Amino acid sequence: MSIRHHIGDDTLMAYVNGTLAESLSVVVATHLAICPKCRKSAELMEDMAGLLLMETETASLSAAEEAMAETIPVGVLQEDRILDRPKKTQGYSNTGVPMPLADRMPAALDDIPWRTLIPGISHYPLPRTGSSKEKGTLRLLKIAPGKTMPEHSHTGQELTLILRGSYIDDLGRFQAGDLADLDSDTLHQPVADTAEDCICLIATNAPLKFSGFFSRLLQPVFGI
Amino acid sequence: MTSPDGSRQGRAGTRALPEDLDRDLMAVGLEQDPTAFRRLFADLAPRLKFFLIKGGMIESAAEDVLQETMMKVWRKAGLFDSSKASASTWVYTIARNVRIDRLRKENRPEPDPEDPCYVSEAPETGEQAVSRKQDRERIQKAMALLPPEQMTIIKMSFFDEKSHGEIAETLDIPLGTVKSRIRLAFGKIRAELEVL
Ligand SMILES: [Zn+2]
Repeated sequence: MSIRHHIGDDTLMAYVNGTLAESLSVVVATHLAICPKCRKSAELMEDMAGLLLMETETASLSAAEEAMAETIPVGVLQEDRILDRPKKTQGYSNTGVPMPLADRMPAALDDIPWRTLIPGISHYPLPRTGSSKEKGTLRLLKIAPGKTMPEHSHTGQELTLILRGSYIDDLGRFQAGDLADLDSDTLHQPVADTAEDCICLIATNAPLKFSGFFSRLLQPVFGI
Repeated sequence: MTSPDGSRQGRAGTRALPEDLDRDLMAVGLEQDPTAFRRLFADLAPRLKFFLIKGGMIESAAEDVLQETMMKVWRKAGLFDSSKASASTWVYTIARNVRIDRLRKENRPEPDPEDPCYVSEAPETGEQAVSRKQDRERIQKAMALLPPEQMTIIKMSFFDEKSHGEIAETLDIPLGTVKSRIRLAFGKIRAELEVL
């Protein structure tokens, strides 16, 4: 898989420091699982944080905090690193997609109970865990060959990861593994451009805005 | 992995070198060495506390997060791999996760290297495989070259754990400016790392 479109550094930075909305974080983590280049960038950011941590000032510790240095080694058992491993090797599903996404899929990609939005375009909303107080959506979207997503822009951020097939829009061609990282001011209209269905994972941190009269009719369908 | 005997040398009063921290963390993981843990604690806890308080946490909450972080450092030290990250980076990621668990209760999914779908990196060539020590020095040099307005935003992201929106509000600049400064900063750092 040769990936051409990657996570924007601003988005990755928010993922690294834990301020990215959960729906967007699922897409970022799924891309990271298949993209060594972006993992390297994430590591660079964590390295920077580690370096900066050692340059920060220090706060004075309370007596209770000072005591932790003595009590922790006495009172806390260490995890055995060998025993810790095998637990994880079980339970990988056969959904054919990386874990951060597989965890949220009801079935394999071939068996998703798609819901038709308009002819040629169907979707499947994915559950999010956590407090879910933030607005935002996470869904799978399937675009039939030659079909066009209605032109839309966003009030927030939209991340799209191509899982299968490809599409083309003003920003270029996006193939399996590519990630489109779009800001609120971008207007785009992807077209599935091969003989294969284009299946993607889309997350937003705010509902989509459709432009044009007919597209606006779709708003209640897409936006949640 | 070896655990050099040098890890037990006293160095009272001096500031820890990154290599010292790495060695102490390894000693905690491999030998459950309480002395090494006390040294790590003395080096890291006051900085972690500063970072928690500066991020807006009240004393009692910071104490809880500090305790949980240092407990995890002790408990998970056996998982630390000094060829992958430095001790301060490893501890930063633990503190960050403790803080996320506590403050947001949101999931932050992470890629899992054991996942059959995980795509591993192509093996590094001899040239690319630089030591951690060299890496650290190169990153430090590259960071030193960033203009202050970019560095401010990066520090706010890491230590105040502010979202881009919150940073924009605090600095009274547009959200797009926050994002573009972050992109510029990392573009510059990557370019520097390639030449250094
Ligand atoms: Zn990437």
